[in-house]
Parts: sequence; structure tokens; C-alpha cells
Amino acid sequence: MVASIEQLVYKPYYTEHRANRVDAPAQGYNEDAMQGLQAEMIRSELEEVVGTPHLSTDDTDLLVYATDWFWLPQMWLDRGKTPKKPDFIVRPNSAEQVSKVLQIANTYRIPVIPWGGGSGSQGGALSTFGGIILDTKRMNRIIEIDERSLTVTAQAGINGTQLEWAINERGLMLPHYPASANCATLGGYLAPRGTGTISTKYGKAEDLVLRMQVVLPDGHILRTPIVPQHAAGPDFYRLFLGSEGTFGVITEATMQLDYLPEVRLLRAVLFDNLSEALEAGRQIMTRRLEPFVIRLYDPRSTASRVRKILGYELEGAYMVIGFDGDRDLASLQERKAMEIIGHFGAKDLGREPGESWWKHRYDFYYPPQSLKLPWMYGTTETITTYDKIEKLYYAEKRAVEESFQDWDIDFIGHFSHWFHWGVMVYTRFIIKNPPEDPHEAVRLHNRVWNVAMTAVLENGGMVNEHHGVGLKLSRFMRRQYGDAWPLLERIKKALDPNGIMNPGKVGFGL
Amino acid sequence: MSQEAISNCRYCLMCRHVAPVGHITSNETLTPHGIALMVASQRRGLLKWNTSTLRVLYAEPDAGLCRAHCVTDQRLPAAIAAVRAEIAARGLAPDTVVRLHHRLLRTGSAFGERVHQTHTHTSELALFAGDEAHNLWPESITAARLLLEACSTSAALVGAGASNGYLACSIGFPATARKNFRACVEEARDASVTQLLVLSPADLFTFRQMGPERLGVIWPADIVLTDFATFLARRIQDGTLQLRAGAGDAAYVDPTHAVRASERFNPIRSLATTVLGQAPRELFWRRERAHPVGSTAVQFTRPDIAEALTRARLEDAKATGAGSVLCEDPATLVQLTRFAPDYGLKVQGLFEALAALIRP
Ligand SMILES: Cc1cc2nc3c(=O)[nH]c(=O)nc-3n(C[C@H](O)[C@H](O)[C@H](O)COP(=O)(O)OP(=O)(O)OC[C@H]3O[C@@H](n4cnc5c(N)ncnc54)[C@H](O)[C@@H]3O)c2cc1C
Repeated sequence: MVASIEQLVYKPYYTEHRANRVDAPAQGYNEDAMQGLQAEMIRSELEEVVGTPHLSTDDTDLLVYATDWFWLPQMWLDRGKTPKKPDFIVRPNSAEQVSKVLQIANTYRIPVIPWGGGSGSQGGALSTFGGIILDTKRMNRIIEIDERSLTVTAQAGINGTQLEWAINERGLMLPHYPASANCATLGGYLAPRGTGTISTKYGKAEDLVLRMQVVLPDGHILRTPIVPQHAAGPDFYRLFLGSEGTFGVITEATMQLDYLPEVRLLRAVLFDNLSEALEAGRQIMTRRLEPFVIRLYDPRSTASRVRKILGYELEGAYMVIGFDGDRDLASLQERKAMEIIGHFGAKDLGREPGESWWKHRYDFYYPPQSLKLPWMYGTTETITTYDKIEKLYYAEKRAVEESFQDWDIDFIGHFSHWFHWGVMVYTRFIIKNPPEDPHEAVRLHNRVWNVAMTAVLENGGMVNEHHGVGLKLSRFMRRQYGDAWPLLERIKKALDPNGIMNPGKVGFGL
Repeated sequence: MSQEAISNCRYCLMCRHVAPVGHITSNETLTPHGIALMVASQRRGLLKWNTSTLRVLYAEPDAGLCRAHCVTDQRLPAAIAAVRAEIAARGLAPDTVVRLHHRLLRTGSAFGERVHQTHTHTSELALFAGDEAHNLWPESITAARLLLEACSTSAALVGAGASNGYLACSIGFPATARKNFRACVEEARDASVTQLLVLSPADLFTFRQMGPERLGVIWPADIVLTDFATFLARRIQDGTLQLRAGAGDAAYVDPTHAVRASERFNPIRSLATTVLGQAPRELFWRRERAHPVGSTAVQFTRPDIAEALTRARLEDAKATGAGSVLCEDPATLVQLTRFAPDYGLKVQGLFEALAALIRP
């Protein structure tokens, strides 16, 4: 039971903390810079860099770019209120243009917020303090597909599905399949350390990157070494993975590809309970049977989401498991996994429901099937080791359900990104009748997050596994990292002394 | 229904990968989500209809990509047309839109003259020679008639120069659209037509889908609508139409609205293969993901967008290594022709190319 909800009530972090932080901009942002004559000067300088059609201060654009996929600004807009808008939107088409934009921002001490597809759910692309939204989508060229080393080098603003189509034409795939591929960008895959549906075999987006081109906050353009695995000094390229635009702008990346698999063998099984299903998943992973997907729904999701989208009325814990690649190998791996599953007495539902899940796996995201306003919802996904995961899941579930039972909160989850050592649980809360008053809604929303994240942190979980930190989880970063946090702050200060890069995100500028 | 799509799409980003204007401009606002959010925000009093918002509203090409890729079939293009209708009803439509509408209302044609024909001879089979074909690319009609003759068939011409109603509907004048649509139906009836051949996916979409869905008018069941390309492909297959072997190396450009008539993808390619003696080169943006050129209302409302859309298709074609492009749709051909020289590309009408292969 979380005792201290009252102490955890959300307080606007900006006013409370900002002035005291080492990485807070020296005199705060130069808000005057964004008005009157200075604004015109900035505008004309930016225009010179990106060209008139690629700079906007148009009201409509500013409003559309005022929200990403974070529930709070969407709700705010829905209730007829405007979140903080950017002052300028620029769409550079090269690292050189990005560099010049950052130099201008440093001169005038104004924030720069990288924007890929704006599909992030954490408010990472919000212009919390105004400033320049740097939309990367014009940087959308594929530079090279190397069919010998199986790599692709592309600019960071390329759309995920468009990139995948181009690679597929060579019989290859980029094995990062997030549900957001249709809308997210390559840079947006890497900046928040995203994870895709087939990560269990192929790894997270960050595991697939060989090298990057990055523009540092002062405008310096650098390339990381040609390969990530070596012994030539520290692994600094990892700094940019998960920095969500606070350490610079990723402008290009070389990614590892794979051959399109000969087969994808999928099936569904039903366990009596979650505990046994988790143990079966653990055994499959630790014996390195290499499933490309294990998606395990908790009994509540089995009863609600699986029924709603896939049409199966089932009780228990529903698991979809898949093996891909060479037909013989995949069949063998599947047979071995099914032996393990069989030991737990799970019911084999056959191929059809597994294949149907694969086919419809993204249907959940299309309205009206998706979660949508006016409901309040959030994905409190987390990750930890196998020894802790079940306890963590129940602790979070209990804390959230008990604390917000007056709001008839629904808490559901599935376990979908499995590693040799642990698994991610994709937990979600849903409140179907949140307060109508937007201010109250913000407070309730943040209270739920406080309770959920407290349970996560107290039970050995990470505040996030793949959506990133953004603005939403910024305030938990200090607690997450404890003693290690000042190191990150020092790195931030060294790279971005004026604090122009995406302030307020990833815990920086608090 | 239209409100529903605005509401559903305002925070949905799932068709971003195919949205043509978003792709060519890289502008978040000019995506289905951006436009829906703008309209939803106008409804909530956060934006007003003014030059800025209207520029966005009329930038959407109404080419159907978003809906073709929507798992839950959100009818956003229709919803946007409905918003434009509201704008028009409030007298806020931009001048270009008003002028275009007056033309469509007065003459029934956007590009030239509507020929009012009296059909003295009845004909079971007719060819729809609409506005674009008749006024902008008449070669396609001549070629189609030659090809029909070569199939030992003759067909009356119906709707010469007539707008099918799509443009008026798309810019927000459903009453005029209905009038244009019905005029086409009436002419087909006058000619006692039982089967109407259409040259483009635009006509097919308008008559069979847009009419009932957006205008509440239904194409009469006793006049069978047939895609001309599919008709020809069948005639070649069954030996009715015998052509000389063609040779060439061109890229095939799927026309605007191609995604709204996906059953044409294969027949049209078999025709292109006949013309070239080999399969055509394929664009990246092809078949299910085929982007439009600037042949919809954007050519009037946002010529900048229209040009950029067309240039993007030509760049895509150029990247295939082809020296020429092949397409069947008069409206698309006209747009491609405007800028093709900049890319060193020749533009060839598919039906004309087929007609040139008719055995003497
Ligand atoms: C329907 C839907 C499904 C989703 N499914 C998944 C999923 O399966 N897996 C997953 O991991 N996520 C998922 N997400 C979350 C989100 O889409 C991903 O995190 C995505 O990769 C973000 O990419 P984006 O280009 O939209 O980035 P944005 O939202 O634009 O940005 C995200 C963050 O990265 C920063 N950023 C963006 N580009 C750059 C750059 N080039 N350089 C530096 N910083 C940059 C931004 O400043 C921001 O902080 C989903 C989102 C949606 C809407």
C-alpha cells in the first residue's frame, strides 16, 4: 500500500525546482527573445538557414506542434485549452542546417526541441518553454544499403515504414517493428531507446545501431566510430541513445539489417494463471530458444483486449509465441518451446489465433478501437529481472487499483519484450470517467503516475522500458538513478552549457 | 459520420507513412492527423477560420490514401469535404474555390466545355469521356475508340467534357456535385446505355463510391460501370483484341485515386506489359501506396502542393532509370506533362500506346 499519496501530489516542477539546478539555463530562457524585434531577427536567421517554406510561425502549425502523443496536452487541447506552443518550427534537411539552427539558438538562448514523428507518448517533443521545434522529417534520405554487411545508413527523419519498405525490396528487414512504425522516425526510434514487437529475438532499436551522426548542442557535427563493438575506449555513442534530444540531434544512423525470414511460425497457448506462464516464458528465454515474440496477456487483458480485438472469449493468461527464420530451425525451436509450455499444462490453441494476432497486432492502435479521450489512460510499462517481475507487477497493480478504486480504475498488462535476464511488463491504467475540469484531470493523472512509479521503483523496476522519459517521467529520474544522477547532470552541463536542448526532459532542467 | 472521423483521426498517426502531402512537405500540419486536429481545435474555439487555417484545409488532396490504409475505415477525406461544405455555406471559401464552383455550376466543366449531346442512336455500350479526357487529353478518347473498334465493338460517347461531380464535392459544394453527377447519369440513360466504360480510377471512384457515400446518389444498377483498362485486358486475354508486340522501357505511374480502385492494379500492368514487351519499371510509390499527382482540386486551391506532388512522382519515376513514363489517366497525364521535361522524361498515354499496336 502506498501511504504517501498526498506527499506525491504533482507540483509544477518548473517553478519549484528549476532555479536551483546546475543545468538550468543561467538566466532562464530569454523569453523576450521570442517577441518583437528579436523574434523577427531570429526568424530571419532561421529562415536563411532552412529556407522560407521550411520555417513556420503560423498559428495553425504552432498549435498542431503543441502536442505529441502524451495524454496531458491532448486532454488539455480537448478541453479547449492551449498547451505552451513553440515559437518557431524549422525543418532542416541536413546536419549542416541543424548545426546552424543550434548555433542561432545558443546565441539567443532559446530552447530547441527535436521532433521526429511526434508519436512519443511521454511529452518528449513538447515545447514546454516555447522555442524552436526542429522537425527532422525532411532529413529522410536513405544513404546506403549495404547488402554484404547487412546495414542501412539513413537520415534520422525517415519514416519507419517507408524505410522498411525500401529495405524489404532487397529481401531485408530492419528488425525493429514498433507499433508506431507508420508514424515514427528513425531518430525517434533511437532517441528514446524504443523497442519493437520482435525485439525478443532481434533486440531493441539501440541494439541495432552501428553508428550515428549527431549534432551537439553547440552545433559541432560528429560521427561515432564505424562499429559499436570494439575496445578503443569508452562507449560514448550510447550517451545519445535515450538522451531524447537533450544531448544533441541525431541526424543519421547506420542500422543492422536481417534477411526477411523464410517463415514466421506463430501459435497461441492458454495458461491457467500468469505465474506459470511467466515461468514458461523464462525457461524458453534462458534456454535460448530464440522466439521472435512472446506476448503474454494478464488474465484481465485476456478477458478484455483479446476478446475485443481478436474475438476470443478466454479465461486465463493468453500467450502468443512465434519463431522465425529458417523453416527447419524455427520448427525445432517451436517444438522445444511447446514441450516447456506443455509441462505447465497450458492449452495449445493452435496456429490460427497466433497468426490472427500477428495480422491484427496493430489494430489496437486505430480509433475507435484504441484508447481515446475523454478517457484517461497511461502506459506505465516497466522492466526488471525475472526474480522480481511478478512481485513488481502485482505491487503496481495493487497500489494503483487500491489507490484509485473510487475512480473505477482499470489496470491491465501484458509481458512482451523478453530478455535472457528479465522481461518488460506493459501495464496500463484506464479511467473511463476522469474529472471534466482539466486542472483536476492533470492532478489525478499525475497522482496515478506517482503511485505507479513509486511501486515500480520500490520493487526494483525501471521507470520505463521503451517509451522514454520525456516530460512525463522527468521528475522520477533523480529517484531512479540516486547516486548516479549527478554524473548525468554533469555530462548534460558539459555538452549543453546553455541548456538549450529539450529543457525539462529526461530529468534535466528540473 | 464526418464529425466522427475528425474526432477519431485528430490524435491518430497511423496513416502518416502513406499521406502524400505530409510526405512531400514534411509538415505535421499537412497530415490527416494535423488537419483533423486543426478542425477539432477550430470547433473548440482554439483556432479560427482564416487564411492560415483555410490554406491547410484546402491542401488535402482527397486522394484516398489515408482511408485505403485505415484499419477502421475512417472516412476522413469525406469529413474534410464536409468541413469545406460548411465553409462554403458560411461564405468563407477562398476565391479560387468560389470561381471553380461557379464554373462547375454554370458549365458542368472545370477545364473547358461540356458538350451537350442528343443521343439519337441508342447504344448499349458507351465510353465516358469526361471533363479531363475531353478537354485536356482528348487523345485518350480517340485511342479508346480505336481500341474498341479493334475489339469489333462500338461505343457511344457519353459525358463529353462533363465533370463527374468529384471536384464540386471535394471543394465543398455537394449540391453542385449532385447536379454534375446526375447529369452524367441522365445522359447515359438518354443513350440507353447498359454498360459504361470509364477511363480512370477517378471516374470509377466517383460513380461507384463517392456518389452514394458523400452525395446520397446511387449509380443506377442497370448501367454497369466497367473500368476500360480491365475491359481491354480481358479482350487481349480472350483473343478478341489482337495487338502487335510492343517494345519499350518505361516506368508506369499509378494515377491519382489508384488506391481507390485496387482491382485495377494487375490489369493495368498487363496492358503496360503489352505496350512495352516487358513489365514496366515500378515506382517506389506504387499500387496500394500510389501517391497522387496534383490533379485533384489542389491544382486550383494549392498549386504549390499540386506541383510538388507531381514533381515527386516524376522524381520517383526518374529514380527507376526509365526515360519515359506511362499512364492511362488523362488528368494524371496532363499534370505529368507539365513538369516531365525538367526530369528528362517523356510522357506516354497508355491507351494511345496500345492503339498504336493495333494490327492494320
Ligand atoms: C500508436 C503508437 C504506437 C507506439 N508503439 C511503440 C512501440 O511499439 N515501441 C516503442 O518503442 N514506442 C512506441 N510508441 C511510442 C513512440 O512512437 C516511439 O517512441 C517512437 O519511436 C517515437 O518516434 P518519433 O519519431 O515519433 O519521435 P518523437 O515523438 O518526435 O520524439 C520522441 C523523443 O525523441 C526526441 N527525438 C526525436 N527525433 C530525434 C532526433 N533525431 N535526435 C534527437 N532526439 C530526437 C524528441 O525530442 C523526443 O524527446 C508508440 C506510439 C504510438 C503513437
